Amino acid sequence: MARTLAMFTDVSLCIGCRACQVACKQWNQLAPEEPEWTGTYQNHHHFTDKSYRLVRFFEETDDKGQIKQWHMMSDVCKHCAQAGCLEACPTGAIYRTEYGTVNINQDICNGCRYCVSACPFGVVAFNHDTGTATKCTFCNDRIHNGLGPACAKACPTQSIKFGFRDDLAVVAKKRIDELKTLGYKDAQLYGEDSSGDLGGLNAFFLLLGKPSVYGLPEKPKLPQRNVVVDSLLSIGSALVVALGGLVAFRGRGGQGGA
Amino acid sequence: MEPGLLKSADWPALIDVYFFLGGIAGGAFVIATIANLLDGERYRDVVRIGYYIAFLAVTPGPILLTVDLGVPTRFLHMLMVSKPSLAIGMDAVTVGPFHLKPFSPMNAGAWALLGFSLFAFLAALDVFLEHRGGRSMRTLRVVVGVIGGFFAFFLAAYPGVLLGATARPLFVGAHWLGALFLAVGASTGGAAIALVLSVLGGQRGDALARLMRFTAFALIVQLAALALFVLTVSTTGSAGIARALAQLIAGSYGVPFWLGAVVIGIVVPLALQFAGVVRKTAPAITALMSLLILVGGFAVKYVIIAAGQAT
Ligand code: SF4
Ligand code: SF4
Repeated sequence: MARTLAMFTDVSLCIGCRACQVACKQWNQLAPEEPEWTGTYQNHHHFTDKSYRLVRFFEETDDKGQIKQWHMMSDVCKHCAQAGCLEACPTGAIYRTEYGTVNINQDICNGCRYCVSACPFGVVAFNHDTGTATKCTFCNDRIHNGLGPACAKACPTQSIKFGFRDDLAVVAKKRIDELKTLGYKDAQLYGEDSSGDLGGLNAFFLLLGKPSVYGLPEKPKLPQRNVVVDSLLSIGSALVVALGGLVAFRGRGGQGGA
Repeated sequence: MEPGLLKSADWPALIDVYFFLGGIAGGAFVIATIANLLDGERYRDVVRIGYYIAFLAVTPGPILLTVDLGVPTRFLHMLMVSKPSLAIGMDAVTVGPFHLKPFSPMNAGAWALLGFSLFAFLAALDVFLEHRGGRSMRTLRVVVGVIGGFFAFFLAAYPGVLLGATARPLFVGAHWLGALFLAVGASTGGAAIALVLSVLGGQRGDALARLMRFTAFALIVQLAALALFVLTVSTTGSAGIARALAQLIAGSYGVPFWLGAVVIGIVVPLALQFAGVVRKTAPAITALMSLLILVGGFAVKYVIIAAGQAT
């Protein structure tokens, strides 16, 4: 396996210009969509089959309901080291590349939509025209030709950085220290720790507040972790039911007392 | 209002129908197998009808799934692709073009559907041939019944485990859905056999009464699993999960949940059973009770899946 590639999105540098969102659409030839009124500058509510990159806007209000601070975060598929979508996929359409990214093979996907509900970040979207699931690929065609994703190239403030994961982790930690000394005491990394939740995210973030401020789960969980426990409980109830059957159908004939 | 981050697969009710029929098939098959193991002669009608129902209920499964996927050959991708990738998940096994992913309940369930269909076909064929006056192949039937029984349990339970392995707030901390779906399979499988028996009549001796006793027992397991499901979800704590649970038991799904899944599907049939009404009176009561159980069995799966997908 080649060195893991990663994307580091530093929200402290984001100006909400959405150049990344547009660049993504252009490179991936994603068709235009009807705008959606979300109440903020954000468009759309969710990732769609035609928006793989999405700049999220959050308005933090004070007690009087006045806007205190704007938060902007350019969101993307996290290419999780332990990916719910990949584990869920019954067809093997979702696979991990030699760079550690997670892709959906459009020829294999059968449109079951299981991955859509299995992603802890709501990333995968179903394309009703092709009947397949789609999401960000880190611009698979570009990274295999040494170009880096279109969004990172387009970002005018270098809020989106792309490179080898280990290199970016060093950059990210330095940036956190810098921000802390500037007084941003809540600044924190999200998904950088590869021994943390989901084995680390290959698109990790620098946030200026708690993950929940950005609508992110504090402790994202791999849904397939439930399979063992749920299966054991199912087996337990199967044993109980089978035992009930043996008792009900066994014994002397001729009487049917309860 | 925050729209939230998560997305839903938005499976149509077609999938609920498949899960419902799969449960009936699995439950009926296991009941027929147990009855056959204990006394194939005495419970001949339960065995025969059980295996027929299992076969008839599982047969629409692949068709329903194919309709949902849109393109017929796509269903095959659940089991095989011509060029499998190497890194497709934890403990994934590929043999030639085939792949098995133990941590993808949908993949494992597709295999179970295939395996169960084979055994359900063999069992139905065997009871059919015997009924037509052919020799009964006792040993073969036992082997088919026991191996098929494992697939049957799997088929009934896996949809619950499948839901539990998503990020949907109602399901992610639930844990009891597989157990619940299994119990629903047993109760609806028993009810389906009882319905046919009481309509056709002719069952000798106490077989029907014993079947109803088993079905009532399965309903108690079903009630327990449902209660544990609600309890587990309610103690999981996060705001999103609480909202999803409220939607199920008090929100727009509250009425079908309490009236359909709990009262019609569990409480009334159990009351009938324990009041002894079923044993003493006409087969019409047994038929009614079976119908209620079937309606409630569909309701509980439908309402949980719908609420989980909506919130
Ligand atoms: S963020 Fe979602 S879609 Fe992306 S790799 Fe992780 S689980 Fe899959
Ligand atoms: S929709 Fe496609 S990519 Fe997603 S889980 Fe199903 S087969 Fe896999």
